[in-house]
Amino acid sequence: MANTWGYGAMTNSLGDIQNAKAIIIFGANPAVNHPVGFQHFLKAKERNNAKIIVVDPVFTKTAAKADYYCRLRPGTDIPFMYGMLHLIFKNGWHDKNFIKDRVYAMDEVMEEAKKWNPKKVEDVTGVPADKLIQITRLYAQSTPGTLIWAMGLTQHSIGSSNTRLAPILQLALGNMGEEGGGTNILRGHDNVQGATDMCCLSHTLPGYYGLSDGSWKYFASSWGVDYDWLKGRFHTKEWMNKKGFTLSRWWAGVLDGKNGNDKIHNGGTNLKNLIVMGNGITSIAQQAKVKEGLDNLDMLVLCDPFVNEAAILTDKQDDVFILPAATQFETSGSVTATNRAAQWRNKVIEPMYESKADQDIMFELAKRLGFYEQLTAGMKIKENKKDFQWPEDATDEIARIIKTIGLTGWTAKRLKKHSENWHMFDEISGRGYGEMKGEYYGLPWPCWTEKHSGSPILYNINRSVAEGGMGFRNRFGLEHDGVDLLAGKGSAPKGSANIDGYPEITKDNIEEVLGIKLTADEKRRIGKNWKVDTSNIIAEKCMQRGMAPYGNAKARAKVWTFPDPIPLHRESLHSARPDLVKEYPSYADKGNHYRVDTQYISKQTEKDWSKEFPINLITGRLVNLNGAGMENRASKYLAALSPEMFCNINPNLAGIHGIRDGSMMWIHSPEGTKIKVKAKYSYAVSEDRVWIPFHFAGHFQGEDLSHKYPNGTKPYAVGESANTVTNYGYDIVTQIPETKGGLCRIEFA
Amino acid sequence: MSESSRLKFYCDENRCIGCDGCSVACAEAHELPSGVNRRKVVTLNEGIEGLEYSLSIACMHCTDAPCEEVCPVDCFYIREDGIVLHDKDICIGCAYCLYACPFGAPQFPQDGAFGTKGVMDKCTMCAGGPEETNSHTERELYGQNRISEGKVPVCAAMCSTKALLVGDSNEVSNIYRERVLSAGHGVKTQPYGWNVAYGSKK
Repeated sequence: MANTWGYGAMTNSLGDIQNAKAIIIFGANPAVNHPVGFQHFLKAKERNNAKIIVVDPVFTKTAAKADYYCRLRPGTDIPFMYGMLHLIFKNGWHDKNFIKDRVYAMDEVMEEAKKWNPKKVEDVTGVPADKLIQITRLYAQSTPGTLIWAMGLTQHSIGSSNTRLAPILQLALGNMGEEGGGTNILRGHDNVQGATDMCCLSHTLPGYYGLSDGSWKYFASSWGVDYDWLKGRFHTKEWMNKKGFTLSRWWAGVLDGKNGNDKIHNGGTNLKNLIVMGNGITSIAQQAKVKEGLDNLDMLVLCDPFVNEAAILTDKQDDVFILPAATQFETSGSVTATNRAAQWRNKVIEPMYESKADQDIMFELAKRLGFYEQLTAGMKIKENKKDFQWPEDATDEIARIIKTIGLTGWTAKRLKKHSENWHMFDEISGRGYGEMKGEYYGLPWPCWTEKHSGSPILYNINRSVAEGGMGFRNRFGLEHDGVDLLAGKGSAPKGSANIDGYPEITKDNIEEVLGIKLTADEKRRIGKNWKVDTSNIIAEKCMQRGMAPYGNAKARAKVWTFPDPIPLHRESLHSARPDLVKEYPSYADKGNHYRVDTQYISKQTEKDWSKEFPINLITGRLVNLNGAGMENRASKYLAALSPEMFCNINPNLAGIHGIRDGSMMWIHSPEGTKIKVKAKYSYAVSEDRVWIPFHFAGHFQGEDLSHKYPNGTKPYAVGESANTVTNYGYDIVTQIPETKGGLCRIEFA
Repeated sequence: MSESSRLKFYCDENRCIGCDGCSVACAEAHELPSGVNRRKVVTLNEGIEGLEYSLSIACMHCTDAPCEEVCPVDCFYIREDGIVLHDKDICIGCAYCLYACPFGAPQFPQDGAFGTKGVMDKCTMCAGGPEETNSHTERELYGQNRISEGKVPVCAAMCSTKALLVGDSNEVSNIYRERVLSAGHGVKTQPYGWNVAYGSKK
């Protein structure tokens, strides 16, 4: 996404889905995972005659509300989308002007698409050719169409290619920057977008600034700390610029390549301590490895309102600390919704008993580690205060520093006003009225200045920049292979002083590109470029000229820095089709991938996995549980809806193995692990696959670990973690685990 | 509410996604013992393409309520607004009403420590019972009385897609009528707005 057009976020909003004429959903189940947001899908269908198309390996509750359902073989989204593109280009359904002016290298996609005729697609994906044709015609001709996805598309070894081809499909149809169009990626949990924006990740600084020296220096000065002091916190200087471990692979950092585990590159040492804050690490892949990692730590600290079941999973006896963290109702501050909009939350009660809000836990830790002053310095800068007020000063600090995604307008004062007046906004467009006129609800980023309206629909050139319009971001240079990467003539946002493509704005080019003259004072105060311009002169001048600070460029269908510059199909590491593994093999193994040597082709060709493990294994969510489920399973009424871990299995498959409805069964994984779960007959899954929910914990490989819960903390429902049997396999770019494309073997228990 | 209509539930099968938000909200609000389902979501033909439907079912507060007709001890009474309630002090828990009810609404909790809701238990449309309104006894026996506070029953208030409607039957049918008539007539964006309306590519 970010590599295609600038930002990796939902482009439109849930409300805007009502404007769609067609909705195509890949690997997402909003009826279960976003039940409130799903009303917009239903209203689009009801009022706008929108057709809903669901492409998913299992028949979901979303599929039950769809007009068309395609039962896709896991891990074959790319062939399916190329099949659509094949027909789109062949029949001339693509938006030629849009592609000419606003997309780079679509011709190379056209070449690849030629290979994927409907018969070929049928063979690889399992979707009948006539169904593909029917759906493609419908989707291409019902504009605007919106494309929805979630973890079903991303959690593959080829996830980063999946999430590039989906945008390409929308670009081909000219569905971007439109009401009712866009790529609407559904964030799976509360404030995931906010956590990503603040970079609770290991490969960049907050606001996607990267880890270059320039970025560190910008943050050092913005945080009010000495750059050399920051540098001194690292082992050596070079570690400042290296990516860290990922959530999916932290355990490899502990295990340090011993006992046949993947080798690590961590400065000659392994990870020794782990602090977990509000993360259900019992819902990440390869649970047996997670356990091994936990067991080998020197110290484990878990901060959660409920007992994080990592404490139950591990055999570690000493130095495991469970800290009671406060809930969202016991603290306040802004959170970011899936559509890049902020909402202010108010504290309802003081933290109960001994619990503390997350920030207070971190402040106490920083005090004891001796850098509390530095940690909090940035909050005092704006008004040169002696002390700070949480969380307002933290929010204002973020607004002061983060220019890349345009958080300048997100002052605590404005965000509070929006939440207090939320009834004064239209549910579909987000437009405010009355006192809130001129602003969109929650000021969806980019919100360039303290007066900006927010941008509800990314890349929309039908609106002025001041009203949330913009072209694609100029992020990948001015040209590539001799082709101009700036947008075509006349494709600038409405009311732009420069009606053509233009580069991102810097101190050096601002006068020329905007056609203005800066005063001597402005020249003195302006930052080097729009991303580090704390004076905000660049953004203010851009608004006056109707131009986006980040430029107006083409989206790119080709990412020349990726292993597959044009997205290509590659079979899952554990594929049920050995013939296709030969035709579409995985990548070469990748060394030092977020510090871990990661296997691709060697794992895929270690043996013919499908012989021993012929069943596709798919994991997913239940409507009553969330994440690792530790909070919901502690609720009597929620737990009652799914009191036990189970497996959806087709009666015909179950019958072959002598498994009755309600009897226990084993699921074995290629990793040599197994889980014992209750069989639930279901026609939602076909005979070649089973589906299991990933919200359970408390059992491990057939053993009940209930006795390990501290007194009075055992949830109402416990069971096997689905991730004990999810397979090895990680994305080639992001290290996201391949939980949606694995294999298993089943037997009666 | 209008003088000539009654309070009714309606569940729009095109909108119900079977999320159970209603039933959990109900159980939570009235602190029901486990095993008592005043409201339940029923999903038919689960997993079968084209045939899967979900509906939320509770007491339908019938005008000519069969439960009231058959009750041997005459514990039922129908309020002026149409809500069908019963008196747990009179009820003997014979389950004859369950025979009569077309919707399986009556529930029979186990007696004992947690069977505190008494003999027969069912949806009250959040209107409590014959005890003093909002009294401790009413709350213990029948759950919350939201109607007396002018609140919508908790199940419909919680419904994520607004499939479940409740209220004055005139109002309920107005809402549904509008849904039916507006089908296919375009997005319902509010007419007010800023000067720059939605642009169009073509």
